Amino acid sequence: MAAALRVIDVSKTYARSDQPALTATSFDVQPGEFTSLVGPSGCGKSTLLAMIAGLLMPDTGSVEALGEKVTGPGKGRAIVFQDAALFPWLTLERNVEYGLRAHGVAKAERREKVQQALRMVHLDDVASKHPYELSGGMRQRASIARALVLEPKILLMDEPFSSLDAQTRVVLQDEVQRIWLETKLAVVFVTHNLIEAAFLSDTVHLLSSSPGRIIKTYAIDIPRPRDEADPALLDIRHDMLERLRAEVTDAARRRAEIAEVTA
Amino acid sequence: MKQFAWQVVRKGWFIALVIFLWWLITATAWVDPYKLPGPGDVLSTLGALFTERALMHDLGATLLRLVEGFGIGVVAGVLLGVLTGAAPFLEDGIRPVIAGLQAVPTIAFLPLAILWFGFNGTAVLVITAFGTFKPMAIATYSAIHQVSPTLLMAGRSMGARGLFMQRTLIVPASVPNLVTGLKLSWSFAWRALMAAEIVVAGAQGLGGVLELGREIGAIDVVMAVIIVILVVGIVTEQLFFTRLERWVNRRWGLVGAR
Repeated sequence: MAAALRVIDVSKTYARSDQPALTATSFDVQPGEFTSLVGPSGCGKSTLLAMIAGLLMPDTGSVEALGEKVTGPGKGRAIVFQDAALFPWLTLERNVEYGLRAHGVAKAERREKVQQALRMVHLDDVASKHPYELSGGMRQRASIARALVLEPKILLMDEPFSSLDAQTRVVLQDEVQRIWLETKLAVVFVTHNLIEAAFLSDTVHLLSSSPGRIIKTYAIDIPRPRDEADPALLDIRHDMLERLRAEVTDAARRRAEIAEVTA
Repeated sequence: MKQFAWQVVRKGWFIALVIFLWWLITATAWVDPYKLPGPGDVLSTLGALFTERALMHDLGATLLRLVEGFGIGVVAGVLLGVLTGAAPFLEDGIRPVIAGLQAVPTIAFLPLAILWFGFNGTAVLVITAFGTFKPMAIATYSAIHQVSPTLLMAGRSMGARGLFMQRTLIVPASVPNLVTGLKLSWSFAWRALMAAEIVVAGAQGLGGVLELGREIGAIDVVMAVIIVILVVGIVTEQLFFTRLERWVNRRWGLVGAR
C-alpha cells in the first residue's frame, strides 16, 4: 500500500536563528493511520506540520502527499489550528462552508456537505450562531467540521486542544477518536501532551529540541476504543518522559562541556 | 429611575457648573454683554436662528456635504489602502506619499481647491472628501496589515487565493480596525469641513453662519452656531460610531468572547 504521506529528509532553519528548528527528518504515514508528533515547545513539531500543510517550505528534503510533491496547500490535506482560527464575522455554517466556496463548489452541494459535517461534530443545532457565542470546545469542534467538509485524505491537527480546559479536552479526544474511526483518515496530530498522543495514535514520534528531531518512534497497537487510564498507555507515557529527561540532562551536559571549552 | 437621576448628576454636574458660572458673570454684568452674552440670550438666538434665518437649511447643507464628502473619502481611502496592501512594490511606492500628505493639514489645500473648483460648495466638498481620504487610506492599509496570520493561514489552507481572499477574508477581518479608522476619519472630515465653510462663507452651511456672525459682530449668533456644531459632533460620535464600534467588537469576538 502506498503511503498517504511521505516526509523525506525535511529540515528547516529560521532566519535569525543559529539552531535548526528541525534537522533532516523522515517518516511515512499510511492511509488511515493516526500519527502524533509529540515533544516540548521548540522541538519543531509545528514547523513540521506547517511544511506538511504546504504553508511553509522546507530548506532541504520534500513532502509527498497522496503521491504528489507538496508545493502549497492542497485540497487533500486539511488543517485544524490551535485556537480554532474560525472567521469571527461568519456564522458556524458559513465558516464550515468557506473552503467549499474557495474551491467553487455549487451552492446546493455546499449546503448538504456543511449539514453533514456539522452533524458529524454535533453542532447542527447551533449552525447559525457566531463563534463568539460558543465555548472554546464548540469552536474547536467547528474547526474540525471545517476541515472535514473538504473531504481530505489527510487531516492535520496542530495542538488542537491545548487551549481547552481539562474536561473539554477529554471529551474532544473521544470525539476525535470516534471521528477517526468513522472516517479512517490519515491523521497527523501535533501535541505536547504525551498521554493524549499515546491515547489517540497508532504511531507516536517523540521529538526533542535544540535541534528539533525525532528521538524515538512508538507503535501503539492497543485496540480501540481506548481508555486514557489504560496501564499500557501509562507505561508508554513513562518511557517517553524518561527519554525526554535524558535529553534534558544530555543537553545540560553538552552546554557544560561547551562552557568548559570556551572557558 | 433613581439610578438614571444619579447618572445625570454624575455626568452633568460640571457642565451645569460651567453654565451657572457663565450665567453668573453675565447676569452681574462683570463682562460686556457684547463680548459675552448670557446663556439665555444665546438660547433665544438659537431659537430665532432656526425660526427666522432657517438655520435648518444651513445645518442640512452642512450635513449633506459631510455625508457626501465622508462617503467619497471613505470609498477612495479604502480602495487605495487595499491597493497599497496588495503588493510590496505598491506599498513601498504609495505609503510614503499618503503619509506625507497626512502631514499637511487638509485646510492648507483649500486655496488649491478654490482655484480648481471655484469659491463655492464644491471646493468645500472636495476638501472634506480629501480630509477623510488620507486617514482612511492609512487606517485601511494598517488594518490589513494587522489581520491575524493564523486566519490568513487558515484561509490559504482552505484554498483561498487572490481576489477571493481579499474579498472574503482580508477585508472582513480588517473591519474592527476599519471602524476605528472610520471614526477617526469622521472627525478629520468634520474639522476640514468647518474650516473650509468658514473660509468659503458664501456657500450655505453652518461655517458660513459662523463667519456671518463674526462679520456683523453678533457674538450670540457665533455661540449659538458653536452649540449646534457641538451637538452634531456629539450625536454622531456617541449615537452612531460608538454603537457601531461596540457592535463590531462584539461580533468580531474582541470583547465578550468566552
